[in-house]
Amino acid sequence: MALDVETIVSLAAYVGGGLAMGLGAIGAAIGEGYTAAQANMAVSRDPKNSGEIFKNMLVGQAVAESASIFALVIAILLLFLDVPAPTLLKAAALFGAGISMGFGAIGSGVGSGYPGGKACEGIARQPAVASQLTTNMLIGSAVCQTPAIFSMVVALMLMFINFGNAPLFPTWAAYLGAGISMGLAAIGSGYGGGLAAGASCEGIARQPRTAANVTTIMLVGQAVAQTPSIFGLLVSFILMFKSFPESTALSASMALLGAGICTGFGGIGPGLGNGMTAEGAVRWVARNVEHAGDLMRIMLVGQAVSQSTAIYAMVVSLVLIFVV
Amino acid sequence: MDELGKLHQLIIPFLGHNITINLEVILMTWIVFALLIIIGLCASNKKSILPRPIQSLGELIVSLLYELTEDALGKELAKTYAPLICALFMFLLFSNWLGLIPHLEEPTKDLNTTLGLGIMGFVIAHYAGIKSKGIKAYLKEYFQPIFFMMPLNVIGELAKIVSISFRLFGNIMGGSIIILVVSYLTYSLILPPFLYAFFGLFVGTIQAFVFTMLTVVYISVQVK
Repeated sequence: MALDVETIVSLAAYVGGGLAMGLGAIGAAIGEGYTAAQANMAVSRDPKNSGEIFKNMLVGQAVAESASIFALVIAILLLFLDVPAPTLLKAAALFGAGISMGFGAIGSGVGSGYPGGKACEGIARQPAVASQLTTNMLIGSAVCQTPAIFSMVVALMLMFINFGNAPLFPTWAAYLGAGISMGLAAIGSGYGGGLAAGASCEGIARQPRTAANVTTIMLVGQAVAQTPSIFGLLVSFILMFKSFPESTALSASMALLGAGICTGFGGIGPGLGNGMTAEGAVRWVARNVEHAGDLMRIMLVGQAVSQSTAIYAMVVSLVLIFVV
Repeated sequence: MDELGKLHQLIIPFLGHNITINLEVILMTWIVFALLIIIGLCASNKKSILPRPIQSLGELIVSLLYELTEDALGKELAKTYAPLICALFMFLLFSNWLGLIPHLEEPTKDLNTTLGLGIMGFVIAHYAGIKSKGIKAYLKEYFQPIFFMMPLNVIGELAKIVSISFRLFGNIMGGSIIILVVSYLTYSLILPPFLYAFFGLFVGTIQAFVFTMLTVVYISVQVK
């Protein structure tokens, strides 16, 4: 069985498409399941408002599904993509696109289930603010999708941008590394952002008059929790758009692949940790709104400290790219 | 599809270096400036006790942003920084919405715009910190908790610029790439208007707010 270039490119596209949808199906399902579970609890607590809760559950689940829909779009594009000039480099880029989207959809999918669930719970608790809770849930879960959107952008760039005739070695590793870096780094940020959004829905149900403060601090917390995924985006941009000198030595390729892996894995923990910090801050702002300013400052300083590990990972990646 | 990853650039050779100017971005930025000035003039022209709609809209936006700044910085500092914050928010909002108009593009789609604004916020925050704490106390913070953490603290501060500017850039550019690809695949039928509403109006507004809030909060972390 001979493997010519065309076969390898379609092989990479098919495996990449499979990975994109297979991995991308994990997160959203978990998130939606959580939303439904909380909706059940909410209905049993307040059966009179079951219609409102049911509607909110469906809207929340629809938003939580968007990460998986991004994965589906990328998977279908990969399956039916018509590559005009197949090269081995394109094969690496397509495989990287699949990895980026597949892993990138996990965190946002799980995360955006939280605001949905907490909003259902909140409607049972405070039916009067149901519409406010739904709005806040929509904002929170839409911001949760940002890491998945970043992954989709990296995947689309890898698939559609014509990078010209870069040398195969070590550029193949750069494209693969770009996908890995973005995909893995999006996991923690998506999940963490969801925790903050969930806490904000809970907080508004507890104290509806604090809604403005709670939504503001939720947005800031989520934005900072997204920083590790932004580092992933930065590293994958550098890997995609920097031109590397040709080198057949394996070490040059492995350095680029390692750079992607480093920022990718390094972003998971800080994203989740920052999300937890934001969750705590948002929850307590609702109870003690007089000290919202202090809480926000302490949240930011705490997040900055727990983000330092993501920064170490990014520094190591940049050293791998530019120095080694 | 060919537009993906292409830019209109003016490259001027200067003393052995190439000065690259992104023409479209500059044009779009000037359009945003013009829009802001026109709206500002309309809102402040013929002020009266019974405000016209555009005056009340302007008052609403300014008072909301003033309150947000006061919450984070306190009454005294808000007087200094709130006008800056209002201007920043309005500029970002109009920039992010500009892509809704056919043939116009968001200036924030270009990293140079967002990075410039990020560096501006960084410099202002540190200037405010030095001014309120004094240079000694300011420098001392970099040697917390132990002196050899200094380089890492500096990198941590610089990473804030990267994160704040790439967040805005990534969201706006990501939205426009997704719109471009989907429009190409669906022959611009049905889906693109909804995507414009989501990425342009909704995400654009949220990201403008987030960028502004983070700038305020960075100032307040430095000051206190």
